[in-house]
Amino acid sequence: MTNINGKAYAMNAITPMKWWKTPLLRTFFFLLGNVKPLQADLKNLSFIHFARWVIVPRNGFPHLSEKQPAENLRYDYLIFFSNFNGAWNQYIDAFSAVLSIGLNLVWWWSEKYPGAVPVTPFKEYISRVQFDTDYYYNSYPRAATNDVKAALRVQDAVDEFAKTSQSLTLGDFEKAYVEFLVKVQPDLGSTGMAPVGT
Amino acid sequence: MTEIDVSDIQGFALRGYNFPFARYLLLELLDSKAAERFIGHVIPHITTGVKWDSGKPASTVNIAFTQRGLMQLGLPEATLLSFPIEFQQGMQARGQILGDIGKDAPERWDAVWHGGRVHVWLGVNGRNREALDRRCSEMLRIMDETKGARLLYAQDAASIFIDGQPTSKEHFGYTDGFGNPDFKGAQRDCVPGQGKLTAGGRWEALATGEFLLGYADESGELPVAPIPHLLARNGTFMAYRKMHQNVATFRRYLDEQARRYAPGTKERLAAKFVGRWRDGTPLELSPDEPDQSIVQNPNRNTDFTYGADPSGARCPLGAHIRRANPRDAFGFNGKLVNRRRIMRRGMTYGAYVPEGEPVNDKDERGIVFMALNASLFRQFEFVQQQWIQYGNDALQGNDNDLLTGHHGGKGKFVVQGTTDPRNPPFLCGGLPDFVELRGGDYFFMPGLTALQMMAAGTVDPR
Amino acid sequence: MANQNGQIYGLTILSPIIQGDSKDLAHATAIRWYLARQPRDRRSPLARVTGTHQARLVVMDDVVYVGAPACEEHLKSRYLVFETNFDGDLEPYLVRMATEAREFVHSVWQHCVGYPGVEDPNAFAAYMKKCQVNTTFYFADVNDKTVGQNLRALQLQSALARFIERHQGEEPAVLQKAFGEFLETMRRAPAPEPGGDESHRTPQENRPHD
Repeated sequence: MTNINGKAYAMNAITPMKWWKTPLLRTFFFLLGNVKPLQADLKNLSFIHFARWVIVPRNGFPHLSEKQPAENLRYDYLIFFSNFNGAWNQYIDAFSAVLSIGLNLVWWWSEKYPGAVPVTPFKEYISRVQFDTDYYYNSYPRAATNDVKAALRVQDAVDEFAKTSQSLTLGDFEKAYVEFLVKVQPDLGSTGMAPVGT
Repeated sequence: MTEIDVSDIQGFALRGYNFPFARYLLLELLDSKAAERFIGHVIPHITTGVKWDSGKPASTVNIAFTQRGLMQLGLPEATLLSFPIEFQQGMQARGQILGDIGKDAPERWDAVWHGGRVHVWLGVNGRNREALDRRCSEMLRIMDETKGARLLYAQDAASIFIDGQPTSKEHFGYTDGFGNPDFKGAQRDCVPGQGKLTAGGRWEALATGEFLLGYADESGELPVAPIPHLLARNGTFMAYRKMHQNVATFRRYLDEQARRYAPGTKERLAAKFVGRWRDGTPLELSPDEPDQSIVQNPNRNTDFTYGADPSGARCPLGAHIRRANPRDAFGFNGKLVNRRRIMRRGMTYGAYVPEGEPVNDKDERGIVFMALNASLFRQFEFVQQQWIQYGNDALQGNDNDLLTGHHGGKGKFVVQGTTDPRNPPFLCGGLPDFVELRGGDYFFMPGLTALQMMAAGTVDPR
Repeated sequence: MANQNGQIYGLTILSPIIQGDSKDLAHATAIRWYLARQPRDRRSPLARVTGTHQARLVVMDDVVYVGAPACEEHLKSRYLVFETNFDGDLEPYLVRMATEAREFVHSVWQHCVGYPGVEDPNAFAAYMKKCQVNTTFYFADVNDKTVGQNLRALQLQSALARFIERHQGEEPAVLQKAFGEFLETMRRAPAPEPGGDESHRTPQENRPHD
């Protein structure tokens, strides 16, 4: 299953856009980037490690040699890459349920995009425009992005407690240890394999 | 307000009957014409969703079919192929997805589930044993007369009786039966906490299509349903799972851990495992002690959210009910949860052994778990795979549900707490498997019109 | 710079794949066959390119026709897509690719137009930059920690859970000392290797401290 490495799924999708719609999309990305609602919602959904949108204008495909035929395209292309956790259906269900406005702002400019709601035509569209990954590398395959964030919080808590843990009196240590436990307690889930893809 | 025709829906799909005795007859269908006759003779007995204004009947009957059962009945190929894929495959084939591996693997299930011969689930509930037996005899007589079906196995189940009274306890000692979802048209009183959350913090009934085919679901679409429409309409899907409970292991584990947690706190620790005290009081509403006044009040006993408890100090992040129904725990006003609800109709089986008396894991006892929903894939299977056998959405990584998840002796459960020594942070390790799957399958529970079509042999795909 | 989010760089490369006279598949197929045989865990060549969080290679055969009334059109070349998310700056990363994953880079990119070879890492870096397309919008959930920091934190998280369980209920004097030893052991523990292990070890194995 070459799209998947551990808990991460590498999704690729390409959609055509009429060239005069591209500047509108670029504007919306600018707004979304600066007003920060899209970034905040993506962080709160908490199942994407990294994701990017790449606009390749119709004359933007790299051309490196005379021997390479020049592309002659009428559409600009929007390519989407995501490194996400969870199953394909779960991922798209969640986006359709809570991020439909943001998704529509990004993909409305692509030809034949049906909208993120209702979810079935949306899933059909994604299936049509998705293409598969040939090789996927993941440096922490047993950790979802939730696990990474939890581990980093644990690291901070340990670093903080390490400053004083050995120099406290027994009574103070006892108290401080409980406080330390309370700090790390939500973040102690194990890492491991992902459930089977569905 | 969605109008649903309750006379066309099987009552089992609309509400739990609250009868203390049940027998689930697992049948093999014989010759397809005879099977049609059998169904035709059973239809008058089927309990519908019509309210019991003149009092509860002595017993009820409901019927559901596996994919193989529908094949045996001779439904057209195109119809059979239009059922959702997971139903066509059957639960055994979905083992990898559900985590039915190791001790839960199909190879270790009760013999009745081997060979694909279970075609029909005939669920009989009775007010008392006599009524139950009488009704079952009638069913067996119909089978004999029509020669349309053969009994493969009869699974008895009954409420646990304590001091001569039926309770809704199960064998680990927990009081069950809360939290069945409210949906539009169910014609039950809407109870706060059972529906979905609205932006204003109020509870609202869920879309009918989450639980019945032929109606709009929470995403504004009709759920995947077989054709023709009449076959699907007012039907639903059921996951039937016989869950053996290792009561001795559970009691031993609880005792051992409670001694380390703090002396005299066994009930508190037991509450932390599940999210309710064993008497049914939700931890979110009463974290320090059980409170029967909450339990007895249907307007309170399931009316709570987790928003004020993000660290799990009242109800642990991985507690069973928090995993199975996260309510508002994911943010976004609970929208990520609304399409993952299931109706539950469980019933215990096997002899009850009170606390303190010797008990053996090997004895036959457990729960017959039945989940009803419009989409097995999107609802039951999802909850089982992502929230019970996995912990990412509960922010617990790979830690599984303590009560029903796979542990193999190695799992762990974190009890989040506070600096108050009565509610300390605590880690339970070395989790054994408390529950083992003994068998089951996916069933389609048709509406009454659909049943008539099936009995008449008039199911026609487009 | 939209290619970056915090300390993470999102590089997108589209390298045109060489086509024979008859627009044959030979080079694209060769890339796919080669990639299919490469390990994807800690033995992956990309694990040696320090700072790579997640990366993928995709042979993109063509654009997609979404159906009428959209117009059907086709690319004249196939493109090798390389999407990577890494720590630090672009130039040093490209140089690292050429030096730490030489054979892999060469085996894949030799099938691409204009590839200058891997002997001169700077020439390779310059070539890759010619193939770069800019990211318009880049999201990174964790954008301020390196691969090494993430791996160390994950290692610490699982070791800490084991420590907590083992020392539950102990006297403060014993606990304090044990915790000090734990901190020391974690400090001395070798840096975890990126990429995991496809033999799927359980969390119980290979603990740095016991």
